[in-house]
Amino acid sequence: MSGGSTGSAGSLPASLAAAGAKLERRFGVRVAGRTEFRGELTYRVVPEDWMRVLSFCRSARELAFDQLDCLLGDHLPERTDAPFEVVAHLTSHTHGHRMRVKTALAEGQGLPTATGLWPSAGFDEREAWEMFGIVFHDHPDLRRLLTTDDFDGFPLRKDFPVQGTVGGRIRTDLRGKI
Amino acid sequence: MMDDMLRRATDSQVREALEDETLGGPVRLPGGIAMPVQIERVLGFGRSFSFWPLLFGLACCAIEMMALGGSRFDMSRFGMEAMRASPRQADGMIVAGWCTTKMAPRVVRLYEQIPDPKWVLAMGSCAISGNIWDTYGVVQGIDSLIPVDVYVAGCPPRPEALWQGLEMIRDRVKQSRHAYDGLRRIPARDAMALADEGVWL
Repeated sequence: MSGGSTGSAGSLPASLAAAGAKLERRFGVRVAGRTEFRGELTYRVVPEDWMRVLSFCRSARELAFDQLDCLLGDHLPERTDAPFEVVAHLTSHTHGHRMRVKTALAEGQGLPTATGLWPSAGFDEREAWEMFGIVFHDHPDLRRLLTTDDFDGFPLRKDFPVQGTVGGRIRTDLRGKI
Repeated sequence: MMDDMLRRATDSQVREALEDETLGGPVRLPGGIAMPVQIERVLGFGRSFSFWPLLFGLACCAIEMMALGGSRFDMSRFGMEAMRASPRQADGMIVAGWCTTKMAPRVVRLYEQIPDPKWVLAMGSCAISGNIWDTYGVVQGIDSLIPVDVYVAGCPPRPEALWQGLEMIRDRVKQSRHAYDGLRRIPARDAMALADEGVWL
């Protein structure tokens, strides 16, 4: 397994170690990476396995991640082949453990929506789409969440200007909104 | 009825009479009716001791506004403690904090729902100018949306500063002066009209 494994082998909680072993047995070499750091476990998967891994995390008895803590996007422009990253933070109330699942995406590459597994993914995916332009296919309501409807661009991408005067002092078209 | 008559008087006439040190001089209303200024003074005096701001906070400045409402600074001493949760019962608003573009239409709507006469206090650097957030999501100064009477600088201003700002508002209430005197227009509405012509404020 790749990844900077800095924590000692015994630092993982027992239930989480069992969950990780179960996931590795199920997916084998298709798991692209594993990181263990201060008792936190992170798996890296390819986008094609995204839904398969997440639904396994949700349904397998040893994992039983019944809650999606958050799902977020990230932009790493120095990684030219796959500059985008989507991270899912999972929590299991059955076992009391947490895990992270990551995947890397190329520009324009999308992911299937996780709203079928955790309805709470809806807002998170809307935000990731709005801020980074990562499309989540079959999302029931992929609209802008925090910016206005007439907003143009993906503000959390690293190439988005930090300082800007687009739209003057008000920065939105108020017509039809008041 | 009194308010209606005053509203029909042009603002410049009212202001001229108010600036007249002799006081009590009549205001000539358009219909030829003479109105003693003294009445408006009495109304303003009454209003200044029951200035009810809108219960409305946008960001961290609202915490300082709450501190002013609390027992240490206690703005109820000046009849301002009744922060109305409905704009229709309020006499003005304290724009406490930064206004995002998403919030901008709501701020204008709340302002427009406050009945005349109304006063607006912009609290903190963000409400005044957008502060350091010259970014995609922040309105660069609330005065690009609504007329502002008093600006209270600070990040956030201390409750004493807001207190002084409210005292300045009270002076304006007593004198029946508004940010929209002689203007009677709302910057956000002007911006919407200009947007029709493709101009951005």
